[in-house]
Amino acid sequence: MIAQLRVDDRLIHGQVALVWTKELNTPGIIVANDNAANNQMVQMTLKMATPTGKKLLIRTVDDAIKVFNNPKGANMRIFALTNSVKDALKIAQNVKDIEGINVANVGRFAKDANDAVQLSSTLMLSQDELKSLKELASLDIPVFNQVVPSNAKTPIKTLLKNK
Amino acid sequence: MTDILIASHGHFASGLKSSIDILTGMAKKIQVIDAYVDKSDYTKQITDFIQNAKRPAVIFTDLKGGSVNQKVVLKAAQEKDIFIVTQTNLAVVLAVFLDNEKLTKEHLQDLINQSQVELFQLNDGDESSTQEDEFFG
Repeated sequence: MIAQLRVDDRLIHGQVALVWTKELNTPGIIVANDNAANNQMVQMTLKMATPTGKKLLIRTVDDAIKVFNNPKGANMRIFALTNSVKDALKIAQNVKDIEGINVANVGRFAKDANDAVQLSSTLMLSQDELKSLKELASLDIPVFNQVVPSNAKTPIKTLLKNK
Repeated sequence: MTDILIASHGHFASGLKSSIDILTGMAKKIQVIDAYVDKSDYTKQITDFIQNAKRPAVIFTDLKGGSVNQKVVLKAAQEKDIFIVTQTNLAVVLAVFLDNEKLTKEHLQDLINQSQVELFQLNDGDESSTQEDEFFG
C-alpha cells in the first residue's frame, strides 16, 4: 500500500529521504518517473539519496502502477514519488490503496513561468498541472501540501479556492 | 530529540544549523557557537549548555585540537552523558538530530561511521536496478 504519494520536483533529496521515510515508517521507496527509469545517471543520483536500509525501485509511471497493484506489496508501507501532478493523477486513478497524496514542491524550477499560478511558496503550477491538480483534488483521497512533517497539512482544496 | 550544541571557528556552526533547518524545518532547538566572529567570550555558552541540556547530549566541534574543541573538552569531557564529536560534517549532525533511538556511545559511533566523507566515484557499487522480488522480499 502507498503510505504517501509525494509530488516533488526533486524526487528523492535530503528532505524527503531522511525526514519523510522516518516519519512515514516506509521501508520501500518507489520513484515513478519516465525520465529516471530511462536514465542511468539519474538512477545513480537517486540511489545515492536513498537512506541506508531503505529499498528503492525506479520505474516508468505505467510500470510503477503495475508494481503498486502487485498483491505482494499489499502489506508493505511504500513511499511513492512523482515529479509532476500529472503523473500523480495517473497513479491515483489506477491504484486503489493510497493513504494520502502530498503535493509538496512543484514548478519552482520551471523555465516558463509566464502563465504559472502560484498556490503557495512551494507550488507554482502551469495551466496543465493546475488542471491535473483540480482533478486530483476531486478524488476520494486526502490531497494536501506539507513540505516537512513539522508543517501543518494544508488541504489542496483550500489552496485551489478561487483559482 | 537529543540536545545539540555545535561550536566552530566562525560561522560554520550557524551555517550547519541553517542547512539543517532547510532540510528539516526543525533546527530551532539546535544551539550554536560561532567563535571569534566578535570579541565575546563563548565559553559561557558551553557552560550554560552543560548545565541545562537534558542527557544524553552532544557537542559537535569543528577541528580536533582546535581552540574551540579544546575549550569544549576542558569544560565538558568529564561530564557524564555529554558526548563530544569532532571533525564534524553536516551528515553526522543531521544523523544525530533525526535519530530517535537511545543515544549510547556505541550507537553514536554507528551514526558517525555512516556519515563519513567519501571520494565520489562513478559506478560505485552495484548499479543494476533493483528487481521487484528483491524489493518485496
